[in-house]
Amino acid sequence: MNENLFTPFSTPTILNQPATIPIILFPAMLVLTSKHPINNRLATTQQNLTQLILKQMMTTHNAKGQTWSLMLMSLITFIAMTNLLGLLPYSFTPTTQLSMNLAMAIPLWTGTVMVGLRFKTKNFLAHLLPQGTPTPLIPMLVVIETISLLIQPVALAVRLTANITAGHLLMHLIGNAALALSTTNLSLTLLTSTLLALLTVLEIAVALIQAYVFTLLVSLYLHNNT
Amino acid sequence: MPQLDTSTWFTTIMTMLPTLYLITQLKLLNTNHYQPPPTKNSNLQSHGIRWQPKWTKTCLPLSQPQQS
Repeated sequence: MNENLFTPFSTPTILNQPATIPIILFPAMLVLTSKHPINNRLATTQQNLTQLILKQMMTTHNAKGQTWSLMLMSLITFIAMTNLLGLLPYSFTPTTQLSMNLAMAIPLWTGTVMVGLRFKTKNFLAHLLPQGTPTPLIPMLVVIETISLLIQPVALAVRLTANITAGHLLMHLIGNAALALSTTNLSLTLLTSTLLALLTVLEIAVALIQAYVFTLLVSLYLHNNT
Repeated sequence: MPQLDTSTWFTTIMTMLPTLYLITQLKLLNTNHYQPPPTKNSNLQSHGIRWQPKWTKTCLPLSQPQQS
C-alpha cells in the first residue's frame, strides 16, 4: 500500500533513461514568443497576464529590487506552468521533488542575503533584533532571529514540495476511494463531487506559486529596502 | 519516500537550472511588448451640433405655452 501510494512521485524513466529531462523542459516550451505587434488570442492573453503579474509584483520595489524582475517572473512562470501541468492525470510534477525545490530556494535566498549584506549591512544586521526588547533577552533573541533567517530557504523548499505532494496524494486517494465505492452507488456522487471540488481547490496550486514568489519577494524586499 | 532517493537528484537539479535560468528567461525576454498605438484625438465638436439651439424650443409637457 505504501509502495503503491508514492510511486507517482518517483522520477520517471523511459527504458532506464531519465524522463525527467524532457518533462522539466516541457513547460518552458509552452511560453509563446512572437515578434508581431498584434498576436492571436493566446499570445495576447499570455502577454497581458505577464504584464499584469509583473506590475503586481514589482511596483513595491525600488530600482535596485526591480533588477530582479526577470528572475522572479521566470520563477513564477516556471512554477505555475509546472504545477498546472501536474494536475493532469498520470503526469509527473517536477516540483514534488525536494531536490528541485531546494535547488531553487537556496540560491535565490542566498542571493537576497548577499544583496542585503553587501549594500545595507547595518540595516540587515539590525533586523536580527526586534525593537524594544529588554536588555537581558538580547542574546537569546539574536539567536532566535538568526535561526528564523536561516530556516527561510528550507521552509520555502519544503513548503512547495509538501503542498504539491500532499495535494496530489489526496487526489489519488479520493479517486481510488470513489472508484472502489462505485459498486455501491450511495456515496459515489458525494465522493466524486468532493474530488472535483478538491481539484478546483488544488488549482490554488497557482496560489501556492504566488505564495512561493511572494515569500521570496518579502525576503528580497526586506533585505533590499528597509 | 521516493523523493528522498538522492540518485536522481543530480539529474533533476541539472535539468532545472538551465530551464529556469536560461530558457524561461530567454523566452520572456523575447516577447515584445508593444505599446498600444496612440489614438489621434479628432475634434468631434466641429461635426457635433448641426443646429443652433435657438432654432428649436424644447416644450415641457405641463409648461405654459411659449409666446411663439
